[in-house]
Amino acid sequence: MSKRIPTYSIERKKARWGWIFVAPTLIFFSLFSFYPIFNALYTSLFKKKLLSLKPPDFIGLDNYIYLLKSPDFWNSMRATVVFTLGTFVPLLIFSLIFAIFIMSRKRFQNFFQIAYYSPAVLSSVVAAVIWLLIFDPRGLGNQWLNLIMNSPGIDHKWLANSIMVQMSTMLVYFWKYVGYFTIIFIVGLASIPQSIYEAAKIDGANDWKNFWYITLPLLKPTTILVSIISMLQCLRTFSTQYLFTQGGAPLAPINVITLNIYHTAIRDHRIGRASAMSIILFVIMLLFTWVQFKSSRADEISY
Amino acid sequence: MKKLFTIFLFVLLLSMTVNAAADIEITFWTHEDPNRTEIENRYIEEFEQANPGVTIKRVTSGSTEIRELILTAFAAKKGPDIFNMSIEDEYAYIVNERLASVDFEAAGYPSLQAIYDAYISGVLDPATYKGQLYGLPLELTNWCIYLNKKVFRDAGLDPEKDYPKTWEEMVEVSDKIAIREGEILQRRGFDFRYPYHLVSTVPMVEQLGGKLISDDGKTAIVNDEAWFKFLKFMQEWGPSGKNLGSPTYTNARKLFNKDNNDMGMCLTGLYQQGRIRSDNPDFYNSGEWMVIPFPKFENAVKDVPAAYYGHYYMVNGQKPKENQQMAWKFVAYMLSHPEEYLAKVNIVQPTVELMNSETYKSMPYSGVFTDDMAKGHVVYYGENSAKIQSHIEEAIKSVMLAGVSPEDALKTLKRKVQEVLDEG
Repeated sequence: MSKRIPTYSIERKKARWGWIFVAPTLIFFSLFSFYPIFNALYTSLFKKKLLSLKPPDFIGLDNYIYLLKSPDFWNSMRATVVFTLGTFVPLLIFSLIFAIFIMSRKRFQNFFQIAYYSPAVLSSVVAAVIWLLIFDPRGLGNQWLNLIMNSPGIDHKWLANSIMVQMSTMLVYFWKYVGYFTIIFIVGLASIPQSIYEAAKIDGANDWKNFWYITLPLLKPTTILVSIISMLQCLRTFSTQYLFTQGGAPLAPINVITLNIYHTAIRDHRIGRASAMSIILFVIMLLFTWVQFKSSRADEISY
Repeated sequence: MKKLFTIFLFVLLLSMTVNAAADIEITFWTHEDPNRTEIENRYIEEFEQANPGVTIKRVTSGSTEIRELILTAFAAKKGPDIFNMSIEDEYAYIVNERLASVDFEAAGYPSLQAIYDAYISGVLDPATYKGQLYGLPLELTNWCIYLNKKVFRDAGLDPEKDYPKTWEEMVEVSDKIAIREGEILQRRGFDFRYPYHLVSTVPMVEQLGGKLISDDGKTAIVNDEAWFKFLKFMQEWGPSGKNLGSPTYTNARKLFNKDNNDMGMCLTGLYQQGRIRSDNPDFYNSGEWMVIPFPKFENAVKDVPAAYYGHYYMVNGQKPKENQQMAWKFVAYMLSHPEEYLAKVNIVQPTVELMNSETYKSMPYSGVFTDDMAKGHVVYYGENSAKIQSHIEEAIKSVMLAGVSPEDALKTLKRKVQEVLDEG
């Protein structure tokens, strides 16, 4: 009978140190992410009022069934999808364009990076408050646009029209985050070896061909990263919509899921139903992330 | 040595226990009001001097944020000892049994009945639940219309004669006062207070014969015709109709105080006088403003002014008994200065004594407020009143801004409010 001899290889030692280094983050995530997720999942199975001291009633999947039948919930899904698509796609395209523009500059690269990035430093609430002032009927929004379009006295109803209010929320988000994603693209662009472009130049490739056949394919991991982060950010949008409705905008066009969750929990005190909604949002986000990761693994890039 | 150590330990523990019993910290969360802060900070100092070992921590927040702060704090069982909000927001705390009933002895009254006797009839009813009293009023408020005489004259109107008595006249007068640069309103005649519909817009529906909830409490949005007329009126008021105002403009009462020739009238309470005085003393002393009653529709079937509402001081029922008693003692101490609250903050604490006092009667236009209050009723309050109010807000904004027809908005409103009632 052969006796199993324990092996203390370098790999195992490394793995042990790996676990030690990862442990604080794991504990942090367990406390502040995993626990709330499981707690929300558990709470979503109960009829629980935020202020009640009585034990909540177990109602199984009733909260989910209610939501799937609720026109308000489906309106929130619509508002979230419209906002996400309307913001995520331009964010992805324009942040790439801005990154290429900045990288192509010989001078003022730092200035442009700071200029684009600065709105990302602001809190979402401050950004929304600034834009609320701009979107006031007597504010800068109407004044600027009327000056550019030579249309004095036109109220563009930034917050006072169901289509415009959706566009306004997208504009604020785009303004706030485009610089952030531009910086990520700049990092991605900088990591592409110059030797590839030099080789292409010898082969007679022009700038356009360089972009389509070198930059874009080699930028795929960055594009996937930006698309995942920006899509998740868009799905979680809250402060802009919240402050705009406080500022007088109609609720229904911009009642995104997070805002509906907030109203259901804080205004209506129905924490069980709000938890069910947040679990649905979590599943949607998980699904999108999985799909994007899956597609990114299809052909990984190595230089 | 061992004995000595035991005695020392015993004395140390005893002194710690005695100190712990004597030291009480009372947390007091309230909405921002600079005029109140000034006098209440003084009351805190006086109370702390008279009650050694007691510390009062007063924390202020905006009137919208405070609702969320208190709710989340209570949900986490970390609510303050004392707080105040409008009764529509406070009532859920009463029915969910999160509050301590008024300790009449700690508050310095010989009996509970003595408290009811000290206040004007009915004013404590919203804070009474299952025979227990859960709040003492910081203020009782109703809204009338404040009018800028200069703006009226500038529009060629005589403020004393041409002020609007009906909502139809309000439309006419506002149209005359309005100055537009194309579609953009540079000066408004009047505008509503959009988030506060239970106080000011439900009474307009009642004037037309409608009701929010039926008398048996089972049916929501009674009398479709009245609600339809009201929603139609609001649609006409908005930017897609006669373009007289909109929730997206800066709120009317903020502009009114500045007297910048951009707001003719606004809807607010007696307390606004204190705010005009502190924001713009020249305007306050100019005599160029006046107060008129809440208008009614020409074909009104009922004379209903804006509903009155109370802000009640309430005490957290989850705090230790001694905190509760001290909290009620402090609340009663603050409320023992109704004349100072009226003179410096312009808020009315509705005691029988104050309402009959010369101080109240000599307040500018207090008679207009008293007359309207006598005709009015208390605001609708219930566990879900905040939710109902936001459904009404949604309906109004949808017809004014989102292009929804009054018929469709009414259908949605009816469905949503009925669901609130059915769910309980």
